[in-house]
Amino acid sequence: MKIERLIAYAAFLVATSAAGATPNAQEILAASDAIRNPGKPFALTTVLVEYRNSKEVDSNTLTVYSKADTKSGQFRSLIRFVAPMRDANKLMLKNGNDLWFFDPSSKASIRLSPQQRLLGQASNGDVVTVNLALDYAAKLLAEEDVQDGDRQSRHCYKLALAAVSPDVTYDHIEMWIDETNSRPVKSRFYTASGQLLKIAYYRRYQTQLGVDRPTETVIIDGLDPNWVTVMRFSDYAWREVPETWLQRDYLPRFKPE
Amino acid sequence: MRMFALLLLAAALPAAAGDDDDAALSLADKTTAVAAQTSNWHLYLEAAGTEARPQIPGYAVHGERLSFDVKYDDTFVPGLRAVFSDHVDTTRMDGIPGDQNINTLKEAYLSWHAQTDFIADLGRINIRNGVGYGYNPTDYFRADAVRSIISLDPASLRENRLGSVMVRGQKLWDSGSLTALYSPGLVDQPTSNGFSPDLGATNRQGRWQLALSEKFTDKISPQWLLTGGERQSPQLGMNLSALANDATVVYLEWSGGRKTPLLAQALMSPGNEAFRSSISTGLTYTTPNNISLTAEFEYNGAGLDQTNWNALQRGPLQIYGLYRVFVGNVLDLPTTRNLFFYSMWQDAMIKHLDLAAMVRYDAVDYSRLQWVEARYHWTRVDIALQLQIDNGHLTSDFGALPDRRLWQALARFYF
Repeated sequence: MKIERLIAYAAFLVATSAAGATPNAQEILAASDAIRNPGKPFALTTVLVEYRNSKEVDSNTLTVYSKADTKSGQFRSLIRFVAPMRDANKLMLKNGNDLWFFDPSSKASIRLSPQQRLLGQASNGDVVTVNLALDYAAKLLAEEDVQDGDRQSRHCYKLALAAVSPDVTYDHIEMWIDETNSRPVKSRFYTASGQLLKIAYYRRYQTQLGVDRPTETVIIDGLDPNWVTVMRFSDYAWREVPETWLQRDYLPRFKPE
Repeated sequence: MRMFALLLLAAALPAAAGDDDDAALSLADKTTAVAAQTSNWHLYLEAAGTEARPQIPGYAVHGERLSFDVKYDDTFVPGLRAVFSDHVDTTRMDGIPGDQNINTLKEAYLSWHAQTDFIADLGRINIRNGVGYGYNPTDYFRADAVRSIISLDPASLRENRLGSVMVRGQKLWDSGSLTALYSPGLVDQPTSNGFSPDLGATNRQGRWQLALSEKFTDKISPQWLLTGGERQSPQLGMNLSALANDATVVYLEWSGGRKTPLLAQALMSPGNEAFRSSISTGLTYTTPNNISLTAEFEYNGAGLDQTNWNALQRGPLQIYGLYRVFVGNVLDLPTTRNLFFYSMWQDAMIKHLDLAAMVRYDAVDYSRLQWVEARYHWTRVDIALQLQIDNGHLTSDFGALPDRRLWQALARFYF
């Protein structure tokens, strides 16, 4: 499925909503993806702040470069660590489950397994751009009011997402999407055994690259609600990402101007 | 009564969950963190103290070390990048008068990004090949590159070493790349001068290397290497890694070509040149709580098998010493077979506490090296405590290391 198809889904959703019909679950999810993810290659800065028992215990700054694959439509991401200083200029390349880590000090490009985490509570999949509609089959469970990340009540579609791709971080997801504007409001992420891993709120909507997008995700641990990570996104910019960047051999060469 | 209590509990659960979410969102409201800025400079200062117990029982030997590491990496005009990387160690030890200063000029080169898919470099470059953790037979430019050993952690040995002067070109395409380099012979002999760039260590003879990577499938993209030079036969190498499942990475590193045994090379005697292979293969498994466990089998076809190793140990000490020094300098295995285990636990029960452990086991003479490290880090400061224990007969692979037990405490400050 290509990125053009996602945009077509979003357009279809708007048209059907205007006509008063309820779009199907996969279209709702695709429209929500189009809110979170710009339609062309882009870069942004992500600041992660991790709290334990209300105390800040860690902070990281990353620059993320993302580009959709013309064949699969799924995003590939190149992540550059900016802070803390001990991690500065380390790189992570993610293309599905093809995951590489590069340390400029030892010049080593190491393949990582999806289970290896580099950023505390946040999984590698949390910091990269993902089109959920390509990796999950959505089913409409209900239409209900939920509280959003800004403590406002929103009338939402509640979707159940089941993984259809093996290259996913979470087995299944519950997701609430605002009926009026397709904005993602809240998600609950689960393991295959049904254990709640994380809750995420998408909030602080601002116009970025022409669309109102969430500029903050608040992640709450499923087992320990006192473990919280705030992901704040800034410096959105259209950025050409050459295909040659998105491979292991370019990692020692990467030096954005 | 019990049913009533259960109903009360069930009614309370959603409210509790909502309260938790509200508390988390309130915490997020107070977040004031701003994005850090990138820098072209990367510098740290490290101070360390050591206490060593020699293999031959006696007094403990104490030492101190101060290290300074700098890296500068800047694209100063569009398409032209300058990289400079240097490391200085000042050490002092009981029984050795004065300080010993060793400078390691790791890299100093210019990189010209002629096009997005073609890059040329000129200068001193640290070329590092290999997917293995503890042994890298395809790391062809490792010989004589380490001037100062501050830790036997493989990452430290890879990090603090000399690059080689070379001209290099790389052509990239969407699914791979081709790299060609030539490193000329410049100086005949290495030097013990602490502040020399020591081109004699890395550029004694002309060498060349070709590296080709091509993605076969989404999951597999092997790298092929061909290297050669003056007074050495071409060697072919391969690096391959793949995902076995969500938690396991498997890898294979192989090098093969005609070469004489290491003992003949050490003694500069004519040896039986034959096709010999070296292999490093293993897997890394990551547990659900993020502990990475690596097990690796290492084979060196040019090393000594049990019969020849035993004969060398029983022979003249001078020849044994020559061999050990030579093998140590070229960072190879003295015997044919080693096992290597490495584990890393980030945020080990306490946030910012990292635990690492390593075991090297010589499967020919059964000697072993054990190394553990506890490292705690703040934003700009690391502190670490390391312990290395070497076991084995006095002339075995690891029993011959100078210390039976070595403690090192260090503090590193990034600025």
